[in-house]
Amino acid sequence: MNDEQLNKIFQTARTKPDTSRAEYGFETRVLARLREPVAPWFALAWRLLPAFAAVVLVAGAWCYNERPAVTIEAAMAGSESTTVAGVFAGD
Amino acid sequence: MHEPSDERLIQSTLAGDDEAFAALVRRYRSRVFGIAGRFASNDHELDDVCQEIFIKAYRNLGRYRGDAPFEHWLSRIAIRSCYDLLRKRRPMVSLEDIELPVEDNVEPQRAREILDWAMARLAPEERMVITLLELEEKTVREIAGLTGWSESKVKVRAFRARQRLKEVLSHER
Repeated sequence: MNDEQLNKIFQTARTKPDTSRAEYGFETRVLARLREPVAPWFALAWRLLPAFAAVVLVAGAWCYNERPAVTIEAAMAGSESTTVAGVFAGD
Repeated sequence: MHEPSDERLIQSTLAGDDEAFAALVRRYRSRVFGIAGRFASNDHELDDVCQEIFIKAYRNLGRYRGDAPFEHWLSRIAIRSCYDLLRKRRPMVSLEDIELPVEDNVEPQRAREILDWAMARLAPEERMVITLLELEEKTVREIAGLTGWSESKVKVRAFRARQRLKEVLSHER
Protein backbone atom coordinates (compact mmCIF):
# COMPACT_ATOMS: atom_id res chain seq x y z
CA MET A 1 0.00 0.00 0.00
CA ASN A 2 1.40 3.39 -0.95
CA ASP A 3 0.76 6.85 0.53
CA GLU A 4 -1.75 7.76 -2.13
CA GLN A 5 -3.93 4.72 -1.42
CA LEU A 6 -3.70 5.30 2.30
CA ASN A 7 -4.67 8.95 1.91
CA LYS A 8 -7.68 7.90 -0.16
CA ILE A 9 -8.87 5.60 2.63
CA PHE A 10 -8.39 8.38 5.20
CA GLN A 11 -10.28 10.83 3.03
CA THR A 12 -13.23 8.47 2.66
CA ALA A 13 -13.26 7.48 6.33
CA ARG A 14 -13.25 11.13 7.46
CA THR A 15 -17.04 11.33 7.28
CA LYS A 16 -18.27 11.46 10.85
CA PRO A 17 -19.97 8.27 12.00
CA ASP A 18 -23.66 8.75 12.73
CA THR A 19 -24.03 8.74 16.52
CA SER A 20 -27.56 10.19 16.72
CA ARG A 21 -29.03 6.88 17.90
CA ALA A 22 -26.52 6.62 20.77
CA GLU A 23 -27.06 10.29 21.69
CA TYR A 24 -30.77 9.83 22.29
CA GLY A 25 -31.64 10.59 25.94
CA PHE A 26 -27.96 10.91 26.79
CA GLU A 27 -28.20 13.87 29.20
CA THR A 28 -30.88 12.01 31.18
CA ARG A 29 -28.50 9.08 31.64
CA VAL A 30 -25.64 11.36 32.66
CA LEU A 31 -27.79 13.19 35.23
CA ALA A 32 -29.08 9.86 36.58
CA ARG A 33 -25.48 8.75 37.11
CA LEU A 34 -24.55 12.01 38.77
CA ARG A 35 -27.50 11.67 41.14
CA GLU A 36 -26.61 8.13 42.15
CA PRO A 37 -25.96 8.19 45.88
CA VAL A 38 -22.33 7.71 46.77
CA ALA A 39 -21.46 6.47 50.25
CA PRO A 40 -19.93 9.51 52.01
CA TRP A 41 -17.17 7.47 53.67
CA PHE A 42 -16.20 6.08 50.29
CA ALA A 43 -15.92 9.50 48.70
CA LEU A 44 -14.06 10.83 51.74
CA ALA A 45 -11.63 7.88 51.70
CA TRP A 46 -10.73 8.60 48.08
CA ARG A 47 -10.21 12.29 48.82
CA LEU A 48 -8.01 11.46 51.79
CA LEU A 49 -5.91 8.98 49.83
CA PRO A 50 -3.03 11.44 49.18
CA ALA A 51 -2.99 12.33 52.89
CA PHE A 52 -2.85 8.62 53.84
CA ALA A 53 0.00 8.09 51.40
CA ALA A 54 1.88 11.08 52.83
CA VAL A 55 1.46 9.77 56.42
CA VAL A 56 2.80 6.34 55.39
CA LEU A 57 5.82 7.92 53.68
CA VAL A 58 6.60 10.22 56.63
CA ALA A 59 6.20 7.37 59.13
CA GLY A 60 8.41 5.13 57.00
CA ALA A 61 11.11 7.80 56.74
CA TRP A 62 10.93 8.50 60.49
CA CYS A 63 11.25 4.81 61.39
CA TYR A 64 14.19 4.45 59.03
CA ASN A 65 16.04 7.42 60.56
CA GLU A 66 15.20 6.61 64.17
CA ARG A 67 16.09 2.94 64.16
CA PRO A 68 18.73 2.10 66.86
CA ALA A 69 22.24 1.72 65.50
CA VAL A 70 23.24 -1.85 66.41
CA THR A 71 26.99 -2.41 66.40
CA ILE A 72 28.64 -5.84 66.52
CA GLU A 73 30.13 -5.05 69.96
CA ALA A 74 26.79 -4.02 71.39
CA ALA A 75 25.14 -7.10 69.96
CA MET A 76 27.83 -9.36 71.43
CA ALA A 77 27.68 -7.61 74.82
CA GLY A 78 23.92 -8.12 74.87
CA SER A 79 24.37 -11.79 74.02
CA GLU A 80 27.01 -12.29 76.76
CA SER A 81 24.93 -10.64 79.49
CA THR A 82 21.96 -12.81 78.50
CA THR A 83 24.13 -15.94 78.77
CA VAL A 84 25.63 -14.87 82.15
CA ALA A 85 22.19 -14.02 83.51
CA GLY A 86 21.02 -17.47 82.38
CA VAL A 87 23.92 -19.15 84.22
CA PHE A 88 23.14 -17.29 87.48
CA ALA A 89 19.50 -18.13 87.15
CA GLY A 90 20.42 -21.81 86.88
CA ASP A 91 19.29 -22.26 83.26
CA MET B 1 -34.49 33.03 22.65
CA HIS B 2 -31.03 33.98 23.93
CA GLU B 3 -28.99 30.94 24.95
CA PRO B 4 -27.06 31.28 28.20
CA SER B 5 -23.28 31.38 27.76
CA ASP B 6 -21.03 28.49 28.76
CA GLU B 7 -19.65 30.57 31.63
CA ARG B 8 -23.12 31.20 33.01
CA LEU B 9 -24.05 27.51 32.75
CA ILE B 10 -20.78 26.57 34.49
CA GLN B 11 -21.43 29.04 37.32
CA SER B 12 -24.97 27.71 37.75
CA THR B 13 -23.70 24.12 37.77
CA LEU B 14 -21.12 25.00 40.41
CA ALA B 15 -23.90 26.59 42.42
CA GLY B 16 -25.72 23.24 42.40
CA ASP B 17 -28.02 23.55 39.39
CA ASP B 18 -27.77 20.18 37.63
CA GLU B 19 -30.14 21.32 34.88
CA ALA B 20 -27.50 23.85 33.84
CA PHE B 21 -25.07 20.99 33.45
CA ALA B 22 -27.66 19.10 31.40
CA ALA B 23 -27.76 22.12 29.08
CA LEU B 24 -23.96 21.93 28.71
CA VAL B 25 -24.24 18.21 27.95
CA ARG B 26 -26.88 18.92 25.29
CA ARG B 27 -24.69 21.64 23.79
CA TYR B 28 -21.53 19.54 23.51
CA ARG B 29 -22.69 15.94 23.31
CA SER B 30 -22.38 15.79 19.51
CA ARG B 31 -18.80 17.05 19.72
CA VAL B 32 -17.93 14.48 22.39
CA PHE B 33 -19.72 11.65 20.58
CA GLY B 34 -17.88 12.68 17.40
CA ILE B 35 -14.51 12.27 19.11
CA ALA B 36 -15.36 9.12 21.05
CA GLY B 37 -17.06 7.59 18.01
CA ARG B 38 -13.65 7.37 16.38
CA PHE B 39 -12.38 5.07 19.13
CA ALA B 40 -15.32 3.13 20.57
CA SER B 41 -15.95 -0.26 19.06
CA ASN B 42 -19.74 -0.32 19.58
CA ASP B 43 -22.67 1.84 20.76
CA HIS B 44 -22.49 0.48 24.30
CA GLU B 45 -18.81 1.35 24.68
CA LEU B 46 -19.48 4.74 23.07
CA ASP B 47 -22.22 5.54 25.59
CA ASP B 48 -20.03 4.42 28.50
CA VAL B 49 -17.02 6.48 27.49
CA CYS B 50 -19.13 9.58 26.77
CA GLN B 51 -20.77 9.30 30.19
CA GLU B 52 -17.32 9.01 31.78
CA ILE B 53 -16.17 12.13 29.93
CA PHE B 54 -19.08 14.26 31.13
CA ILE B 55 -18.88 12.91 34.67
CA LYS B 56 -15.17 13.78 34.81
CA ALA B 57 -16.02 17.23 33.45
CA TYR B 58 -18.72 17.68 36.12
CA ARG B 59 -16.42 16.60 38.94
CA ASN B 60 -13.56 18.82 37.76
CA LEU B 61 -15.64 21.82 36.74
CA GLY B 62 -14.29 23.82 39.67
CA ARG B 63 -10.81 23.52 38.13
CA TYR B 64 -11.89 25.02 34.81
CA ARG B 65 -10.20 28.42 34.79
CA GLY B 66 -11.80 29.82 31.67
CA ASP B 67 -8.48 30.65 29.97
CA ALA B 68 -9.47 28.46 27.01
CA PRO B 69 -12.96 27.85 25.58
CA PHE B 70 -14.96 25.24 27.49
CA GLU B 71 -15.13 23.12 24.32
CA HIS B 72 -11.33 22.81 24.23
CA TRP B 73 -11.18 21.87 27.90
CA LEU B 74 -13.88 19.26 27.36
CA SER B 75 -12.12 17.95 24.24
CA ARG B 76 -8.94 17.39 26.24
CA ILE B 77 -10.91 15.34 28.78
CA ALA B 78 -12.50 13.42 25.90
CA ILE B 79 -9.15 12.66 24.24
CA ARG B 80 -7.58 11.49 27.49
CA SER B 81 -10.57 9.28 28.29
CA CYS B 82 -10.43 7.75 24.80
CA TYR B 83 -6.71 7.16 25.19
CA ASP B 84 -7.39 5.35 28.49
CA LEU B 85 -10.03 3.29 26.67
CA LEU B 86 -7.48 2.26 24.02
CA ARG B 87 -4.89 1.37 26.65
CA LYS B 88 -7.35 -0.76 28.62
CA ARG B 89 -8.47 -2.62 25.54
CA ARG B 90 -6.73 -5.93 25.10
CA PRO B 91 -4.62 -6.06 21.96
CA MET B 92 -6.20 -7.89 19.09
CA VAL B 93 -4.25 -11.07 18.54
CA SER B 94 -6.43 -12.59 15.93
CA LEU B 95 -8.93 -10.74 13.87
CA GLU B 96 -11.60 -11.94 11.57
CA ASP B 97 -10.43 -12.01 8.02
CA ILE B 98 -11.39 -8.91 6.21
CA GLU B 99 -11.43 -8.56 2.52
CA LEU B 100 -9.57 -5.44 1.60
CA PRO B 101 -10.90 -3.56 -1.39
CA VAL B 102 -9.01 -3.46 -4.62
CA GLU B 103 -11.36 -0.96 -6.21
CA ASP B 104 -10.64 2.76 -5.98
CA ASN B 105 -14.04 3.94 -4.82
CA VAL B 106 -14.74 2.71 -1.32
CA GLU B 107 -17.87 3.59 0.66
CA PRO B 108 -17.23 5.68 3.81
CA GLN B 109 -18.61 2.94 6.06
CA ARG B 110 -16.37 0.38 4.37
CA ALA B 111 -13.33 2.66 4.63
CA ARG B 112 -14.00 3.03 8.37
CA GLU B 113 -14.25 -0.75 8.76
CA ILE B 114 -10.92 -1.22 7.00
CA LEU B 115 -9.25 1.45 9.11
CA ASP B 116 -10.77 0.10 12.34
CA TRP B 117 -9.48 -3.33 11.46
CA ALA B 118 -5.99 -2.08 10.64
CA MET B 119 -5.80 0.37 13.55
CA ALA B 120 -6.71 -2.37 16.00
CA ARG B 121 -3.19 -3.60 15.32
CA LEU B 122 -1.54 -0.32 16.24
CA ALA B 123 -0.35 0.74 19.68
CA PRO B 124 -2.82 3.03 21.52
CA GLU B 125 -0.65 6.13 21.03
CA GLU B 126 -0.27 5.37 17.31
CA ARG B 127 -3.99 4.94 16.88
CA MET B 128 -4.67 8.14 18.81
CA VAL B 129 -2.27 10.25 16.79
CA ILE B 130 -3.32 8.92 13.39
CA THR B 131 -7.02 9.41 14.22
CA LEU B 132 -6.51 13.00 15.32
CA LEU B 133 -4.18 13.86 12.46
CA GLU B 134 -5.78 12.11 9.52
CA LEU B 135 -9.45 11.73 10.45
CA GLU B 136 -10.10 14.70 12.72
CA GLU B 137 -7.62 16.77 10.66
CA LYS B 138 -6.00 18.39 13.68
CA THR B 139 -2.63 20.09 13.39
CA VAL B 140 0.45 18.79 15.21
CA ARG B 141 0.20 21.71 17.64
CA GLU B 142 -3.47 21.00 18.36
CA ILE B 143 -2.70 17.32 18.97
CA ALA B 144 0.10 18.28 21.34
CA GLY B 145 -2.33 20.52 23.22
CA LEU B 146 -5.02 17.84 23.40
CA THR B 147 -2.79 14.95 24.42
CA GLY B 148 -0.13 16.71 26.48
CA TRP B 149 2.62 15.23 24.28
CA SER B 150 5.38 17.42 22.84
CA GLU B 151 5.10 18.42 19.18
CA SER B 152 8.19 16.41 18.27
CA LYS B 153 6.72 13.33 19.96
CA VAL B 154 3.49 13.79 17.99
CA LYS B 155 5.45 13.99 14.74
CA VAL B 156 7.50 10.89 15.51
CA ARG B 157 4.45 8.91 16.56
CA ALA B 158 2.51 10.04 13.49
CA PHE B 159 5.32 8.95 11.20
CA ARG B 160 5.64 5.55 12.87
CA ALA B 161 1.88 5.05 12.92
CA ARG B 162 1.61 5.75 9.21
CA GLN B 163 4.44 3.35 8.41
CA ARG B 164 2.88 0.67 10.59
CA LEU B 165 -0.53 1.18 9.03
CA LYS B 166 0.87 0.81 5.52
CA GLU B 167 2.71 -2.28 6.62
CA VAL B 168 -0.44 -3.86 8.10
CA LEU B 169 -2.57 -3.02 5.07
CA SER B 170 0.09 -4.17 2.57
CA HIS B 171 0.60 -7.41 4.40
CA GLU B 172 -3.08 -8.27 4.31
CA ARG B 173 -3.81 -7.13 0.81
